[in-house]
Amino acid sequence: MASTTVETREPDSEDPVVELRNASVTYDDGNSYVLDHVSMDVHRHEVIGVIGESGSGKSMLAESMLDSIPDPGVLRGQVRYNPSEGEPIDVLDLTTEELRQLRWEEISMVFQGAMSSFNPTMRVGKHFEETLSAHDADIDEGLAFARELLQDLYLEPDRVLNSYPHELSGGMQQRALIALSLVLEPELLVMDEPTAALDLLMQRSILRLLRELKEKYDLTMVFITHDLPLIAALADRLAIMYAFHPVEIGRTEEIVQNAAHPYTRALLNSTPNLDAPIEEMVPIPGSQPAPINVPDGCAYHPRCPLADEQCRSSKPDYVSVSDRHTSACYHWDDARDEIALNYSENLGDAARSGGDE
Amino acid sequence: MRYYAERVARSVLTVWAAVTLTFGILRLMPGGPLVQLRGQLSRRNMSPEEIENQIAVYRERLNLVDAPIHEQYIAYLSNLLQGDFGQSLKEGEPVLQLIGEALPWTVFVMTVATILIFAIAIVWGALTAYKEGSTFDKVSSVAGVLLGSIPFYVFAFILLLFLAYQNKFFPASGRMTPLTDVELTVGFIIDVLHHAALPIASVVVVQAGLQMLSMRGNSIQVLGEDYVRVARLRGLSDRRISTRYVARNAILPMYTGFLTLIGFNIGNSVILEQVFTYRGIGYVMFDALEVQDYSVLMGVFLVFTIVLVVAVLIADLTYSWVDPRVKSGDASEAY
Amino acid sequence: MQVKHTDSDTDGEEFVFETQTSTVETSRSERLRDFYEEFIYKPGLVALDDSRTLIGGVILFVFILIALIGTRVYPAPVTNQVERSLKPFETMNAPLGSNPSGTDLLAQVIHATPSMLVLVTAGAVFSTFIAVFTGTVAGYKGGRTDRVITTISDIAMSIPGLPLVMVLAVTIKPENPAVVGILLTINYWSGLGRSIRSQVLTLREESYVEASRTMGVSTRRILTKDVIPNLMPYILVNFAFAARYCIFAGVGLYYLGVLPADLANWGLQLDSAYNDYSALVGSGSEYLVIVPMIPIALLSLSLVLLAQGLDRIFNPRVRTRLAGESESIEEDDDDVVHTGGV
Repeated sequence: MASTTVETREPDSEDPVVELRNASVTYDDGNSYVLDHVSMDVHRHEVIGVIGESGSGKSMLAESMLDSIPDPGVLRGQVRYNPSEGEPIDVLDLTTEELRQLRWEEISMVFQGAMSSFNPTMRVGKHFEETLSAHDADIDEGLAFARELLQDLYLEPDRVLNSYPHELSGGMQQRALIALSLVLEPELLVMDEPTAALDLLMQRSILRLLRELKEKYDLTMVFITHDLPLIAALADRLAIMYAFHPVEIGRTEEIVQNAAHPYTRALLNSTPNLDAPIEEMVPIPGSQPAPINVPDGCAYHPRCPLADEQCRSSKPDYVSVSDRHTSACYHWDDARDEIALNYSENLGDAARSGGDE
Repeated sequence: MRYYAERVARSVLTVWAAVTLTFGILRLMPGGPLVQLRGQLSRRNMSPEEIENQIAVYRERLNLVDAPIHEQYIAYLSNLLQGDFGQSLKEGEPVLQLIGEALPWTVFVMTVATILIFAIAIVWGALTAYKEGSTFDKVSSVAGVLLGSIPFYVFAFILLLFLAYQNKFFPASGRMTPLTDVELTVGFIIDVLHHAALPIASVVVVQAGLQMLSMRGNSIQVLGEDYVRVARLRGLSDRRISTRYVARNAILPMYTGFLTLIGFNIGNSVILEQVFTYRGIGYVMFDALEVQDYSVLMGVFLVFTIVLVVAVLIADLTYSWVDPRVKSGDASEAY
Repeated sequence: MQVKHTDSDTDGEEFVFETQTSTVETSRSERLRDFYEEFIYKPGLVALDDSRTLIGGVILFVFILIALIGTRVYPAPVTNQVERSLKPFETMNAPLGSNPSGTDLLAQVIHATPSMLVLVTAGAVFSTFIAVFTGTVAGYKGGRTDRVITTISDIAMSIPGLPLVMVLAVTIKPENPAVVGILLTINYWSGLGRSIRSQVLTLREESYVEASRTMGVSTRRILTKDVIPNLMPYILVNFAFAARYCIFAGVGLYYLGVLPADLANWGLQLDSAYNDYSALVGSGSEYLVIVPMIPIALLSLSLVLLAQGLDRIFNPRVRTRLAGESESIEEDDDDVVHTGGV
């Protein structure tokens, strides 16, 4: 029996929990896109890391899974949620009440800045109670589960539940918030920069705890971050966001060792790592486009060393690079030769070879 | 504990400063108060002897003694500590008795008024914040500003004109119908409320608008907080969010203001009570101003200070009960 | 932007004197231009756009005109200058009517304006100045200076203002409106001073102030060049509120007869109308009370509107939008905020 459980925990690419199809978020009466026709699946029992600079639309991606885009943004396209049992649900077609139930019971979310996610004048325990009662769950059972979760997160349940938020440290608040988001046993946990406000040590330890939680409770997680090395240690797959849509999606090892998009490679080279001396860390010149003036063609072309006429005029489609690895680049193959990764020994100086894919 | 001690010490210091001020003002007046009073008496065709006798009485009532200034100061302080605020120059009644008779009326009017102000401001402000940008919101903001730019005594005249003189809905003056028995009957209470209605209304209408604007600002700020958003995602009912989340956190910053406003309004009762001939402590002060009754004047001023100091002290000491973020150890300022 | 001047001296001794003066000069004219941009041009644009500021400004301007010109053209109020108890708009001799002593009400209103403006300005300037001084010094110096100033302002704050002024007015009997204004705000500054202090405490940590300090620039210079300009918007808004307080309290005290006043005084006008002529009792002379109420309400309304308008004017987001500066960029910022990130 044990072995079968282990097997079901493996991410299953044939069984997506959430399917996004052409999901777009617009402001200004549809003129500026902050999420641009994203089609992407979240597989059951996987951890998918969504990586991007600030302003790349990665938070919008997270919010769209709960249909919780802040006003006056408008979400269009299709967001389909597949429960483990039962019919698929079109999230955007739900009534207000159905949506209220979906959130937190099926898909729940952890925001950055746990400090501001708790009501400052209410004890932490009360947050758990009111959440349980708002979803007609059994309070006693729910609280017992909350204690278990808190314990799993190495917190003292009694102390935390009886404290006001300000009485807990940032790391404790963040862990308490994670417990709060799991108290209704959701299928999917979406986390938006959950560790951004914490120090490095606390970030690592929270990540370790998340891995333990995932194992124990069979979780599926979407983890939004700007910190590639942090998430690489946890995620099964990575999605790299640039200019409001993912430019490359693939298994973590595949992306880290064999990235097939110039932006991903530049991003990898701009990240501090042990292999590369600090002088070899290369910041990416230029900056990310704003939603109202996204360049024509490939949005990355003004910053891309490989850009040519085609890149400037038409937008590249996703190309299947290898098994479950796609990249939205005409020159994905050249990119691997052109842009050496500063932590990998086998990619030396490469000659320019030109040509289309 | 240190916090409480500090706050109490500060209050005592304030009262002491006010006492020293009244002492100083009386002694530092050009020639002292007696010279001024002597001037008034000499205009009344009194013989020099009568004047001297009257001056001696005044000296007694003002607690003035012939002694070096520091001894006078000590005597003044110890008199006050024993509850001896001197006697009224006019009638010779103990100042404290005059005040004790009048103060409860003012406290009643101003406490009721301030409670109403905040009750109105909280509901009104929260509604405008929820409907931010709507016509209701815009009209309310304009109304709040317009009402706030009228001095309450000007509004009192308007109320008097329309509700007391042109239409005799409310009495124009007095605390109760003359010659009624002071006893706790329904009739008496209604009579008292009937008389207090216009004074209360003129303070409430003018101040509620401004308080509404600050409640509106607080609520809009709280509505933008992450925890309200997260609460919505957690599926809490709108009712719970608006009371336990928005209202609670928006009202908190107004708590201290509420208690201090009672204190300030009592201090500002002089003009209001003069307009309505309402014999509260403000009216006592007005009477004293008219005839330059220094002992009553200083006594009332001290009582006003003490009332405000106590209000601020209560606000400081109880704030940690209403806001869990403030532990008595690391308290924030009252203002 | 105010940082530049403090750097200008650092280039050291090897430079000749002329170089230094020239840098100072350019930076001064630059600063003048900045000042014009920051405090006159852009606020002006917003003011014209914002109806509140516009209305408030126009009303105040009319009062100033009345004070400067009206008092010269219109005769001063005396008793028996016109027929007694004229109703408003009855004759052109006394457009707003006259009181039972034959004093022209309009003359009273007009000739009360200059001293009221002086009173209001004196009070607002005095209290704002003291508040800025104590607030910045306490907040910036910290330590013992801070403790002493804070204790004093705590005490000042806990003494009720109006009764204090009454007690002082009875003993001092001030006649000069400027003195009255100062007297009225004798402890009004404490609250404003306290909030300026806490703002200075925040500013103190800003890096450019830190930079000035490490470069050994004197405290006075840092306060006047770096700290106070940053607080200017806040100070101006509170200046308007202090002015409004002066009207409320000033007219109130004149009404009570606490302050010596002549015929040209709105408070005295109210007092005699209500208490001497029983104008509200219903003899058709209500206008005696209503006439002085109008300038009181208008002047204080104009100050409230200006205070609210100033708040908007110096709010950089509003200003940027209206001054048409890179509108698109501002909208991008909005979206970045929504999309989150670090």
